[in-house]
Amino acid sequence: MTTPREIKVYRDLMGANAEWAAKTRALLAERSIAMVNVISAPGSGKTTLLERMIPALAGRLRFAVLEGDLETTRDAERLDALDIPVYQLLTGGSCHLEAKLVHHALLDLPLDDLEVVIVENVGNLVCPAEFDIGEAGKLAILSVTEGEDKPVKYPLLFHEAVAAVITKIDLLPYVPFKLEECRRYLAQTNPAAPVFEVSSLTGAGMDAWLTWFTAFVAAHR
Amino acid sequence: MHEFAIGEALVSAVLSELAAVQPPPARLTRVRVVVGAMRQVVPEYLEFAYEVLTQETPAAGSALEIRALPITVRCHACHWEGTVELGVFLCGACGAADLAPLTGMELYLDQLEVEHDDPA
Repeated sequence: MTTPREIKVYRDLMGANAEWAAKTRALLAERSIAMVNVISAPGSGKTTLLERMIPALAGRLRFAVLEGDLETTRDAERLDALDIPVYQLLTGGSCHLEAKLVHHALLDLPLDDLEVVIVENVGNLVCPAEFDIGEAGKLAILSVTEGEDKPVKYPLLFHEAVAAVITKIDLLPYVPFKLEECRRYLAQTNPAAPVFEVSSLTGAGMDAWLTWFTAFVAAHR
Repeated sequence: MHEFAIGEALVSAVLSELAAVQPPPARLTRVRVVVGAMRQVVPEYLEFAYEVLTQETPAAGSALEIRALPITVRCHACHWEGTVELGVFLCGACGAADLAPLTGMELYLDQLEVEHDDPA
């Protein structure tokens, strides 16, 4: 005969990740570095936005990029041309970056020479939003070639983001994207987060975006 | 597919909690995990991950019960409280998206069920 017994546990499953994220926050605070976690769907223009903004801020901010991808180093190779430290994080099929992996990658960067670390997360709107990696803020990016209802379809990311950037606005005349509706959803999902409309191709909207970004970095390092 | 990462955290939590049970039980029969809908966990994937990751551990063969919690919110605009579907994060009364989440973000190991062999 056997006696069954129930044991109440209540143990948070994100606890280990949260501990690594806390270590990263302490490390970044000590080195006076702001880390930004950039999250979007695949193909929304994350890498292209970085290719535009990093040279524009050269001389004012010293960057490094941690480039998260499932496979291949193609995005990291593009950013290598910018002459900044770029570290490729291959998740080998996992759909998001976790705090431990990011922490170890940070230790390989020349932290004394940096003011900003940009983490380009794996292209995905679901899983990366789940995992705190110790960032100062999550940045949500969506392009006008996607649906304007993304903020209400993926509320976790847009709810948590410190800002949203709408990219590829040079394509607005050619796509059915409803910009006003998107702005309304964004404002409602996260009333506190500013929204920027940019074209990495033409440079439209880039000044306002870079001004905000520079101020955010200054406030978080 | 974040289910394997969650599965790894789950199995590690289960094994450490199980090792701490006094007196040591004969076997682990069932594990209950609570998952809010905002976590977007596919139950079948998490079950599969659990089965694979517990193989050749003291938790092997235990059943995984996934208790799903809905997304409930309070509307800042009209104070409506209720359940919303994932993918439509809008107030059920006035349609606003300015919502405070009440439940839906849970992700924790809730309970273990073990068996003790009775003395013959």
